[in-house]
Amino acid sequence: MKVLQWLTICVLLVPLSLRAAGPSLPLESANNDLQDLDSLKRGAELFADKCLACHSIKYMRYNRIAADLGWSNEEVVEVMSYGQDRAVDDVMTRMPEGVAMNVFGTKMPDLSLMARLKGTDYIYSFLRGYEYDPETESWDNRLLKGTVMPHVLESMERHSTEESYAQAARDISNFLEYAGEPAKLQRWDLGWKVMLFLLLLIIVTYLLKKEYWRDIKH
Amino acid sequence: MASTQDKKTNSLLAWLDARYPLVSTWNEHVAEYYAPKNFNFWYFFGSLALLVLVNQFVTGIWLTMSYKPSAAEAFSSVEYIMRDVEWGWLIRYMHSTGASAFFIVVYLHMTRALLYGSYKEPRELVWLLGMLIFVVLMAEAFMGYMLPWGQMSYWGAQVIISLFGAIPVVGPDLATWIRGDFIISDATLNRFFALHVIALPLVLLILVFMHIVALHKVGSNNPDGVEIKKLKNAQGLPKDGIPFHPYYTVKDSFGAAVFMLFFAFVVFYMPTGGGFFIEPPNFEPANPLKTPDHIAPVWYFTPFYAVLRAIPDKFLGVMAMGAAIAVLFAMPWLDRCKVRSIRYRGLSYKVLLTVFIISFVVLGWLGTQPSTPELTKLARIFTATYFLFFIILPFTSANEKTKPVPERVR
Repeated sequence: MKVLQWLTICVLLVPLSLRAAGPSLPLESANNDLQDLDSLKRGAELFADKCLACHSIKYMRYNRIAADLGWSNEEVVEVMSYGQDRAVDDVMTRMPEGVAMNVFGTKMPDLSLMARLKGTDYIYSFLRGYEYDPETESWDNRLLKGTVMPHVLESMERHSTEESYAQAARDISNFLEYAGEPAKLQRWDLGWKVMLFLLLLIIVTYLLKKEYWRDIKH
Repeated sequence: MASTQDKKTNSLLAWLDARYPLVSTWNEHVAEYYAPKNFNFWYFFGSLALLVLVNQFVTGIWLTMSYKPSAAEAFSSVEYIMRDVEWGWLIRYMHSTGASAFFIVVYLHMTRALLYGSYKEPRELVWLLGMLIFVVLMAEAFMGYMLPWGQMSYWGAQVIISLFGAIPVVGPDLATWIRGDFIISDATLNRFFALHVIALPLVLLILVFMHIVALHKVGSNNPDGVEIKKLKNAQGLPKDGIPFHPYYTVKDSFGAAVFMLFFAFVVFYMPTGGGFFIEPPNFEPANPLKTPDHIAPVWYFTPFYAVLRAIPDKFLGVMAMGAAIAVLFAMPWLDRCKVRSIRYRGLSYKVLLTVFIISFVVLGWLGTQPSTPELTKLARIFTATYFLFFIILPFTSANEKTKPVPERVR
């Protein structure tokens, strides 16, 4: 009987271990480290330089980024918006929506939750996924054919080492993972403490149960 | 000093007791509620379901303090909770994880009933009330999943509500009536919010209360399926029974602590449950003009969703899905075997139940997958075995070769 019980439990848990699979293109691993504040700072700077012209991260405010990454309010505004925004402002692109529609024929997606929607590996692979087509003399992305997004890291791919080109893509992916869920570091840091407390609670409640059940004859 | 304190407490208690059945209620349902002494692992899930219910109520109340039930603001307000509300992310994850935890616990609780025949005479009403709780819980979860107003919230609701449209004659009007609009819109979100935070929790609470009252009237079953009320000692107490408090309150406290450890792990380290508890497309705001490539309901609905998709005809599919749930209500009458526990039942029930559980799990997995011809074939096979359990059971259980049931629990 015991065997059947455990079998049932195992069988019931099986679907939880299987990810919902769908057709997908092979992605490179971003290999980013959310706890690396330097990488996040570089990522924020690169984001402001390479992405913010078209894309917002409207659910982030400059002062929140400053507080989480260890900048002062003056620094974050200087680094990310060249002093043009206030620290209390949301991180918005300066491109008016109508311009995006007129120039690119589409809306520019907000990137606040892109890492949660697609994953950091996708962002990393997308940034590095540009292929030059000599016939049309233009870049296209292997993950999204015909995308209107230019190869923003083109100069890095051409002029920097492979290492720093990869690092730049990794830093941006890292920053977007942070932007997707700023509380993530906080929850990682709190989780094990809560679990340690619960482990102690398990021991105490177990001993209490044993003590009370001493007088029950089986 | 101590004695005057005691006197004061006693007089307060006497004052209260003269006006409210405080002591007698406590005794009847806790201190002198005699439960069989042989509860095993499977018996934790009743009290755990109650724990999760409390978790959902408390975190839910706090979420409503910051959530905005409007199509224009819902998505942003959830992100506001996740980013700017103090501990908002924790409260939200406790609530979203709690929803999945509720179904894990309830499915195991129901499995326990199937293993030990807890739905049999005289506990039929306990089972029926439990099934009602399950149905209301599904409605509650479905409406709750719509509130973040992400792509899956929107399209999941679109798929489920359109099912009502498959009903002949009244269907389309019924679907419009449910939505309050011709498409899923602000009106739908607003009424679902009302149902999710007021109407259904209220119904749920009443049903849970009745479920426990009914249980305490007939007494708990146990892994041996022995009726402990049959054998009583000189004081008229069941020989194999022990007072719920303190024995099961301490035991369930231990169970709760273990459960909370697993719960905390998910909340802090995998709150999206690998894409099963919160689906990735839900991080994109609802867009009525853009259908996601693959619409999958949350994992706890997938077994029934797989049944729906297995049937080629939409209306028959809806009927089959409804029947997959409804047929469970009839369990006390479909199972005609007098022996309760699987420990003393014949091979036929063991085989049937195993096939049923495997069917349920495989259908659950199939429901998460995009449908292909091969998978649809598989879904049809397991839909058939799912229903075969209920069709064969009345025949095999009537004269099942059972083992002798002991007088007392082991």
